[in-house]
Amino acid sequence: MVEMNLSRRQFLKLSGAAAATLAVVELGFNEKKAYAQSKEFKIAKTKVTPTICCYCGVGCGILVHTNDKTVVYTEGDPDNPINEGKLCSKGTTIRQLYTSEKRLTKPLYRAPGSSKWEEKSWDWMLDTIAKRTKETRDASFKITENGFTVNRTEKIASLGGAALDNEETYLLAKLMRGLGVVYLEHQARI
Amino acid sequence: MTEYVKYVDVTKCDGCRACMVACKNWNDLPAEQTEFLGSVQSHKKTTADTWNVLQYIEHDNAKGNLEYLFRHSSCFHCTDAACEKVCPEHAISYTKYGTVVVDQDKCVGCGYCVNNCPFEIIALKEYKDKNGKEYRKAHKCTMCTDRLDEGLQPACVTTCHTGAMEFGNKTDMLKKAEQRVNEIKSRFPNANIYNPQGVGGTHTVYVLAERPSVYGLPENPKVPTSAVLWKDYAQPIGKMMLGATTMAVVGAYISNKIFNKEGKGHDEDGGGSHE
Repeated sequence: MVEMNLSRRQFLKLSGAAAATLAVVELGFNEKKAYAQSKEFKIAKTKVTPTICCYCGVGCGILVHTNDKTVVYTEGDPDNPINEGKLCSKGTTIRQLYTSEKRLTKPLYRAPGSSKWEEKSWDWMLDTIAKRTKETRDASFKITENGFTVNRTEKIASLGGAALDNEETYLLAKLMRGLGVVYLEHQARI
Repeated sequence: MTEYVKYVDVTKCDGCRACMVACKNWNDLPAEQTEFLGSVQSHKKTTADTWNVLQYIEHDNAKGNLEYLFRHSSCFHCTDAACEKVCPEHAISYTKYGTVVVDQDKCVGCGYCVNNCPFEIIALKEYKDKNGKEYRKAHKCTMCTDRLDEGLQPACVTTCHTGAMEFGNKTDMLKKAEQRVNEIKSRFPNANIYNPQGVGGTHTVYVLAERPSVYGLPENPKVPTSAVLWKDYAQPIGKMMLGATTMAVVGAYISNKIFNKEGKGHDEDGGGSHE
């Protein structure tokens, strides 16, 4: 070894320099360790709400993860006895019901014979539906047919959906029977 | 650390494609425009935005009957991954679970991994930055490594309703695969476990109903020799030389700085790192 005339101060500095050199060079050798550090976990800070899938009659449970603004993620509810956390391809897409750009956010009305959709308010929609239902029902109501009492209208039909729960189907059936509707159907009659 | 694998029993798959959608849902991948391929299959193969594709194969079996085969196709997470070997930026690495992941910050979009993947899984996506300059990044299945970190299973496995996919300890899964092959031998005489040793085994282990070639899989995939040469020989030697040079230069610079400041007298025999 070459003899070096080092003062105490120089010796310390030189040791420091060696350490610094190693540190700098070492950085280049460490890439194996640095495996892709994941960013913040997607559902770390979301609020979880259980819901029922609205598509078919199976009624799978879904967990909806939301933040302040939007739905972040949806997944099958593992605690739901129906699907035990599993979902089909359609149920898995349920987030798009809320986030899709194609989603309708305002009621659209197309007048009879028209080829255009117009935006209308909910009030206008409900009033119009009620008015026209009443008109059609009153105009087509039959009290008797071939001497039998029938009390029905054949100009209105009702189509229920799988997303309706017990209470909703009860109300729907009650309303339709009250109007005299006989074509009372359900979408999930498979 | 226990090694984990994704076990895929294609004979239990009913082709519902929930795994494809679950993958897009978890990883926020956009939909792609697809063309009719003459079958129910949606995409030809995996792409940068579609990390797993369900294959639908119409196959005439040995008895001359039509066999309708499905396969969940995604990254195999090879133990000896060609993509990891060829990546010049070390953007691709192994995780503690044995999965192979791409670090998007490091990827420069050179496409070496795309050319060398024995299964043609990894793919490039083109982006445009705010100045309109184009750049590319390689994407593929991550086996939901972010979910694994939190004790969750991969999204595709979580959603599979027929139990065709499971995620677990490698030894258990391989045992399960062997049992399953024995069970289905009478129905599928060519049934086999696909866990190719040419790439050191994979972290997606399949029970296939037919020979791998029927599914368009290589019978004996290998890491390309050029990749082995590059990564195992050329690179370490080069790095060693580069490392030594860097160390010498940096060391010399720092000590020179110190001793030049301290006084001219020590210039000649100052630091030990002088070349």
